[in-house]
Amino acid sequence: MELRKFLRIARWEVTKNAGGIDRRTAAITVGALVVLGVLAPLIASQGVALDSGIYRAGVDESSPYHEVLTDDATFAVHPASSDAVEEGRVDILIEGTEVVDWADSAKGRAALAELRSAVQRFNDQLMGQDPNQTAASPVSVTLRYVERSLATTQSAGDGGADSGGSDDGGTGGDGTGGTDGSSGSSDGSDTTDGTTGDTDGGGDDSGGGPLGGLGGLAGGLGDGGTSGAPSDIAPPFPFGSLVLAFVFVLPLNFVIQAYGSTILSERINRRGELMLVSPVSRGDIIVGKTLPYFLGAMFFEGLITVGLLTLGAEGATGWISLLAVTPLVLLFLGATFLGAMFARSFKELTFVTVTITVALTSFAFVPAIFTDVTPIALISPLTIVVRDLQGQAISLVEFGFSTLPAMLTAIVTFGLGAGLYREEDMFTQRPIPLKALDALSGRIKRRSSAAKLSILLLPFVFVTELIAVAMLFAVPQSFALPAILIVVAVVEELAKSIHLYAGFVHRKYVRTTRNAVIVGSLSGLGFFLAEKVSLVVQLLGGDIPDVEQAAFLTGGAGPAVSALVAIALLLAPLALHAVTATASAIGAARSRRGYVVGLTVAIGIHLAYNLTVVSFVVG
Amino acid sequence: MIEVRDLRKEYGDFAAVQGSTFSVERGEVFGIIGPNGAGKTTTLKMLAGLIEPTEGTVQVAGLDTDDADMKRQLGFLPEESPLYEEMTPVSYLSFFADLYDVPKNVATRRMHETLDRLDLDHRDRQLGDMSKGMKRKVAIARSLINDPDVLVYDEPASGLDPLTTNFIIDFTTELAEEGKTIVFSAHNLFHVQSICDRVAIMNEGAIVARGPLSKLREEHGETTYHVYTSVEVPGSVRENGSYKRSVTSMQAVEQTREAAADRDGTVIDIRTEESSLEEVFLNVANPDRAGTASSTADERSADSEA
Repeated sequence: MELRKFLRIARWEVTKNAGGIDRRTAAITVGALVVLGVLAPLIASQGVALDSGIYRAGVDESSPYHEVLTDDATFAVHPASSDAVEEGRVDILIEGTEVVDWADSAKGRAALAELRSAVQRFNDQLMGQDPNQTAASPVSVTLRYVERSLATTQSAGDGGADSGGSDDGGTGGDGTGGTDGSSGSSDGSDTTDGTTGDTDGGGDDSGGGPLGGLGGLAGGLGDGGTSGAPSDIAPPFPFGSLVLAFVFVLPLNFVIQAYGSTILSERINRRGELMLVSPVSRGDIIVGKTLPYFLGAMFFEGLITVGLLTLGAEGATGWISLLAVTPLVLLFLGATFLGAMFARSFKELTFVTVTITVALTSFAFVPAIFTDVTPIALISPLTIVVRDLQGQAISLVEFGFSTLPAMLTAIVTFGLGAGLYREEDMFTQRPIPLKALDALSGRIKRRSSAAKLSILLLPFVFVTELIAVAMLFAVPQSFALPAILIVVAVVEELAKSIHLYAGFVHRKYVRTTRNAVIVGSLSGLGFFLAEKVSLVVQLLGGDIPDVEQAAFLTGGAGPAVSALVAIALLLAPLALHAVTATASAIGAARSRRGYVVGLTVAIGIHLAYNLTVVSFVVG
Repeated sequence: MIEVRDLRKEYGDFAAVQGSTFSVERGEVFGIIGPNGAGKTTTLKMLAGLIEPTEGTVQVAGLDTDDADMKRQLGFLPEESPLYEEMTPVSYLSFFADLYDVPKNVATRRMHETLDRLDLDHRDRQLGDMSKGMKRKVAIARSLINDPDVLVYDEPASGLDPLTTNFIIDFTTELAEEGKTIVFSAHNLFHVQSICDRVAIMNEGAIVARGPLSKLREEHGETTYHVYTSVEVPGSVRENGSYKRSVTSMQAVEQTREAAADRDGTVIDIRTEESSLEEVFLNVANPDRAGTASSTADERSADSEA
């Protein structure tokens, strides 16, 4: 590749449409982007004022609570009147220092709970301003947060002050008290609320740092029967994480629309043919055309990050956020590139980009909402972003776990798309499934390619399984676990066999049973090796997030077992992958129907194996 | 300048080009003709390095087609003009000049000279707003922006009005006279006949005949002799006060002369008519037709003998 060439193509990509956009359109576009860039961090840092003035309180100015309530935006303050509650003009009525009446409704009770929180915040703030901090906060508590394990959460019947979110400020369900999480310093500013486990779930958003917290989580965990999954979380919802994840994923959905269009437009009417015949490489063209969209996306992500830092994301580094979001940007672009190479028309491209948007947004966005709820959230690179912006520490293993699958998948998608970026494939009107087979068969040179392609497709498998985890993440575990096991079996068997089918269809492999057994075994071996290498890398890194067990339990990790059983557990997957890939390959060597039958058999065997291993490991 | 050896391109079970071998000398204009689906465009794209051959080799100026230096020496004009319609001719040509490493000042001068020669105004108008003929001229200008030694033109005048077609054919002739090596395909055989030094005829992926036009006529065409006599002879028709008999062999001409002498007449004139390229092409593309034509001629001779 030549730097000068792809930079020239990148410049052309940016400027070629310059003559086609009138000034008014350009001005509106720039204005919209500026508004987005300015508003997004504001919304993310302060939240949308959905609850502004939601509770109406009747209180006179003479009451000490008047100042508390006027300081809290959730309350609309009205003059006190004895019949105001009865007439429905206020939700809560305060006379002097007493709450004399409140509406006998869920809203009235919520207003009462919010009043308690508001008073607590007001007092904390007052104490914080006291010049004598020792007097204001005579008890100093040092907190040490440990990562919650699934096992811990599953047995957290005694509450879980230790297993709650690291900064949620929730109170323990057993009433042992929690912290407001306002800071971890030992300067005496930490406070313990000391309240007993009350019914409001202990939630207040203010305690979770500048970007909002996860009140209510600890209360939810206190009932002993929860897993920490979103379905178990009592409101209020983790709005801060949601908004943060949203503002980072939002611009990507716009960028890929433009990017997909420009890639497809090279293929419409054979427009890209003349660049292919010029003295530039495919790599120059692809990098040159992608670079502006990558830089554009990174610019917006950078703008949002800087905005959030400026608006007070305490403890955040910013650069970690940008590093973490980079693989995600590349994954969005890579998937769109491959999709645009498959699509035959703009109509199909629309379908493709919508699919990509839904799948990747689910993968990135949904887990990141629950950043402080469960370690499974780490499957998304956006979780690292959210954690960084909330000022939390991130280990290298966590960073790698979150970002590597996305990065590797992005590389694979660009690689497969680049394989199609040639005259013979770019301009044909073959259906999308056949193009996918073309892309795979283009990588087959000899029988050993079966192993290489299985290795190459492993990141796809990881990301697809992670997307499945993300999508099933919010449903009860009784349904989610079997569903994930099915998804794992289907995705892995497809990844091991689809390139074998492509090889037989494109006559890269001779259609004999012997050949099918050879390439099937090689495919299984390649997949096994790649899977184990990834596992070993994680083991070497130490501190494997618990999500590994939840999502990839069948990969071989499990509780302590004897050496013999451990070896069996290690080698059993090899036998599984080889046998199932061979079953699919034998079918693929015969016909399409044969492949479907072989694949179904392989999925069935894999599913049975998964269920056996899970029941063994879980006991 | 161009060496093609055993060139073959397969798409699955289908062989688009089957073992073509030919060479093109420096400064030569080489035409490739054939019916639709004969493999002309696939052959030209393999020459330009756009399509990778399944088997065989292509060398242009001694370089392989995947060599960037080879691409700098080649100008390719596809059958359609796939332009970036949001660009202007100037920005479009400047962009390609950069890709071909043409210095900016050289590119600007060359661009305007070529557009002048092609009589193309409106150089700042968007390509999408231009007529098909104007777009074709821009596409030709692009193929010349790197001042290539070799031009590969696929149907350069396809789908254009007669005026623009003639202009482009004349322009291509000028390029040939300037010493460019041109490989040229066209459906309009008159254009090929008027430009090309040598021709290859392709059918069903294979070159079925090639060589100078005169040789092809000799091998695959017919010379018709129109023998004008002062008296009526068998098989003649009256034309402008004399009798014309058309035959396809010198033996039949002699028989006609003898027949006229038997009737106290003489041969007034003998005119020859060569087969057009179209007839040669039809004979090659459809050997049954050539057989039928020969049979007819033989029958005519037999009749005249009778």
